[in-house]
Amino acid sequence: MTIEQQIPRNALAWIIISLFALILPHAGRIPVWVLGVYVFAAIWRMQVHRGRWSFPGRWVKALLILCGFSGIYMSYGSLIGLEPTVALLLTAFALKLIELVRRKDAFVLLFLGYFVCATEFLFTQDLLVVAYSMLTVTLVTTALVALHRPGEHQFKGNTIRLAAVMLMQALPLMLVLFFLFPRIGPLWTVPLKSHSAKTGVSDFMKPGDISKLSQSDEVAFRVEFDGDIPPRSELYWRGLVFSKLEGGAWMSLPYYNIPVAERRVKPVVTETEPLAYTVIMAPSQQNWLYGLRYARPASPGVMETSDFRLYSPVQLEEDTLYQARSWPDAQLEETLSEWRRLTELQLPERQNPQTLQLARDLRRGVQDNRAFIDAVLARFNTQPYVYTLEPPALDEEDAMDEFLFETRRGFCEHYAYAFVIMMRAAGVPARVVAGYQGGEVNPVNKTVIVHQFDAHAWAEVWLEGEGWVRVDPTAAVSPDRIEWGLEEAVAQEGSFLANSPLSPLHFRSVVWLNMLRLRYDALTYRWQAWVVGFDSDRQFRLLQDVFGQLSAQKFATVLIGAWALVLIPVAISLLLRRSTRKTRPIDRYYRRFCQRMAKLGLEREPGETPRAFAARVQEAAPRLGTQVYNICGLYNELAYSRGPQTRGRPDPRQRQLKRAVRSFRPRKLR
Amino acid sequence: MVPAESGEGEIRRRLRSRFRQWVNRRIPPARAVTLDQKRIFIFPSKVGFFFALALLLMLVTAINYQNNMSYALTFLLATLFIIATLHTYANLSGLTIRALRAQPAFPGQQSEFSVQIERTRRRDHFGLRVQWPQSTEGLVNLVEDDRVQVHLHTAVGARGWYTPGRLLLESTYPLGLLRCWTWVDLDLYALVYPQPQSSAELPGLATDKPDGTSIPVMGSDDFYGFRDYRAGDSLRQAHWKGLAKGQGLQSKQYQAYADRSVWLDWEMFGGVGVEQRLSHLCYWALEFNSADQEYGLRIPGAVIEPGTGERHLERVLKELAVYGQERKEP
Repeated sequence: MTIEQQIPRNALAWIIISLFALILPHAGRIPVWVLGVYVFAAIWRMQVHRGRWSFPGRWVKALLILCGFSGIYMSYGSLIGLEPTVALLLTAFALKLIELVRRKDAFVLLFLGYFVCATEFLFTQDLLVVAYSMLTVTLVTTALVALHRPGEHQFKGNTIRLAAVMLMQALPLMLVLFFLFPRIGPLWTVPLKSHSAKTGVSDFMKPGDISKLSQSDEVAFRVEFDGDIPPRSELYWRGLVFSKLEGGAWMSLPYYNIPVAERRVKPVVTETEPLAYTVIMAPSQQNWLYGLRYARPASPGVMETSDFRLYSPVQLEEDTLYQARSWPDAQLEETLSEWRRLTELQLPERQNPQTLQLARDLRRGVQDNRAFIDAVLARFNTQPYVYTLEPPALDEEDAMDEFLFETRRGFCEHYAYAFVIMMRAAGVPARVVAGYQGGEVNPVNKTVIVHQFDAHAWAEVWLEGEGWVRVDPTAAVSPDRIEWGLEEAVAQEGSFLANSPLSPLHFRSVVWLNMLRLRYDALTYRWQAWVVGFDSDRQFRLLQDVFGQLSAQKFATVLIGAWALVLIPVAISLLLRRSTRKTRPIDRYYRRFCQRMAKLGLEREPGETPRAFAARVQEAAPRLGTQVYNICGLYNELAYSRGPQTRGRPDPRQRQLKRAVRSFRPRKLR
Repeated sequence: MVPAESGEGEIRRRLRSRFRQWVNRRIPPARAVTLDQKRIFIFPSKVGFFFALALLLMLVTAINYQNNMSYALTFLLATLFIIATLHTYANLSGLTIRALRAQPAFPGQQSEFSVQIERTRRRDHFGLRVQWPQSTEGLVNLVEDDRVQVHLHTAVGARGWYTPGRLLLESTYPLGLLRCWTWVDLDLYALVYPQPQSSAELPGLATDKPDGTSIPVMGSDDFYGFRDYRAGDSLRQAHWKGLAKGQGLQSKQYQAYADRSVWLDWEMFGGVGVEQRLSHLCYWALEFNSADQEYGLRIPGAVIEPGTGERHLERVLKELAVYGQERKEP
């Protein structure tokens, strides 16, 4: 092995540091044993370095690789999909450390490290993760630098300086490329995140589902309104419409069960000024999007369904930004088709007989459907019903009979469920709507932050002449939930985020902490809107805003200009370093004198002594003779003879020389 | 087939000589060369191409997953590559390479070539690799000191002046993605002595004095005594044991059969080719030297008065080495 191929100890230390820094953000996602492989590999490599163990042989290596593959297969059940692929990459990354012999191997390992860093972004592009990744990239670059400093046999912390400087210098150009590089669609389909849990409201709702979801303090989405934010009691974010009740669970209608004629969106009259807003949704691994009633998409790639929902044809695997406009007062489906009416009235046979009987009785006692709704809500309001995050489990068959007449404790989905079957029993088309209600207004940037615990279920009822009307039975039981949110509604119970006592949302009363959280949230929103959500559409608009009409010429000019702007200063700072040769002040003075003579056409020859030059000047310009002799004499004395012992202080003749040169300003030779 | 191949070889050879001419014009031979943009070449290294491939893979990932942070990382690393160009260049720029000396050697032996690398600017230089086409390599840093000496060994060729070719100075610091290099002709020549070749005896031995009897020089001489060590005495004859005992350095004296000066004459080896003649003369010079016998050299174009010692031997061997060469001094 040539000396060049050896790995200095400093580099080895940095490689191991960056290896562990890289694995850290992945740690929660990969099987625990992969972390074990890392520790094992690091120990092995260090023992090799200390001369105790040896590098693995070919068969041991093959065995380790085989073990890695089968381990991943056992942990994930397959090798296909993003998670197993990344886990496999990480395992290979760890094992590569054991066979790190030459510099070549280190290159493979470190470039793989950069790639591992990129895979982290496929899971999250959170601001903190990105900031951390900047650190890991710096560490990997440091290891690369250390690899090229032969003979450093001790760990050197300052190696990181050059790496950090280089990355800083690269940053502005990265931004230029980031904003200018055309965003093109996927080149081919890629493995999806098959192993990530679906989050948020699901398309299947049983009593107890939403109360479970309400234990989470994660952010579901953030909304920015173009104008004022409507009051929170109006913020009903529709996500799913459940029209089908089967086996004690509410479901949405499968697309292919809807007759073709019913699939298209019914025309809606929209005359008033709409509410316009932008939503950034956290990845949910689901297809539905959220909007206020009645929402129309204003972004490409967002669709509308026949029950007036927003829908994304692809699952949300990333933070997704979309814009929508809403007309809260628009009338939906003035006339109901026969198929729709039958669908929205359907009830499973021989279930909840008591509840259905109660509904028919109540209906008989009032004049119209409107009054019937009020009667049902009044029952919820006056009878001792409790709104609770901890509802008792219910029997599957006659769940609502049990709830309405025995337990009387339920969360929003219980009330919505009971309400809708009562409506249907009385012949009023009705359905359950699931989504979120309310949200926290961030005073910092005026966005609405909707958390998972804002999940909610309510009802929609179709009334003659009014179309679909929203009715929220929960409001009848617990008006606080709608006015103030879940935390207030269950304050007495103390069950708000009971499972996550460290959630920052518990500390909303600590002003500075809350302000910090909100500021960070505002930053996250900016980040997501500008960086994460930057797509071809936004790119086009941004470039047009900045450069006006786009042309290839402008494009090239900007690109080249930006590069020159960064590279030239970097080059200057690198190449114009101070010389190692110190110039004495007297040399500077003498050189200045020579420059003045040169301007008059009398140049000192290289190698010509000051005395000889003075003689030549004397000959050419006798007028300047005395001055020139004075300067040359002083210089000679100072340069070549020891002056009086004046330690520390400069020789007084030095100042004499300085003055002599300064006053020497000849215009012409003669 | 064959003519086509030789044609190709011809083209390659012509290209190579054209390239050599171009380099010669660009970096003319000099004992000291300071590196500037005229003399430094830079190009992505193999590792750099591998890195570019990795970046391409990352770009494809970013495109396929529509992942903006992956885009950002890819672009950051791509610009890092470009920034590295300047850093790699700066690592060579401003260095001065100075030829120091080349040790004389016998044909086929290793000669040591010494060069000095100096920095002219206040910056650290790392991983500077120096090598002559066939020599050992040196890898140095310039961090604490402003100059560093490198000693490289290479096998020399035939008698005369051996030039190791152009010195390669290269570096891939700091990231290994780019290779920055220069070829400098340091005008450094190693003297190659003739290959010593024994001859049974010295024919027609010439001495100063016409009455000189033939002197048997072959074989081991008898030990005669000590004298104080004088500069120029062969170290082989130094009395080290005495020095260790604290007696001061002394030289062992050997008694030759005849304590007379010997002339190594060109004409001694009549009828032999030039190179062989030089080889014999070389052999005898070495023999006399190890016997501490005075000898002189008389060849066409050079006469060296008889003498002894290493200095004397060097002068003699040099005259033999440069015989018939255009160049007399390095």
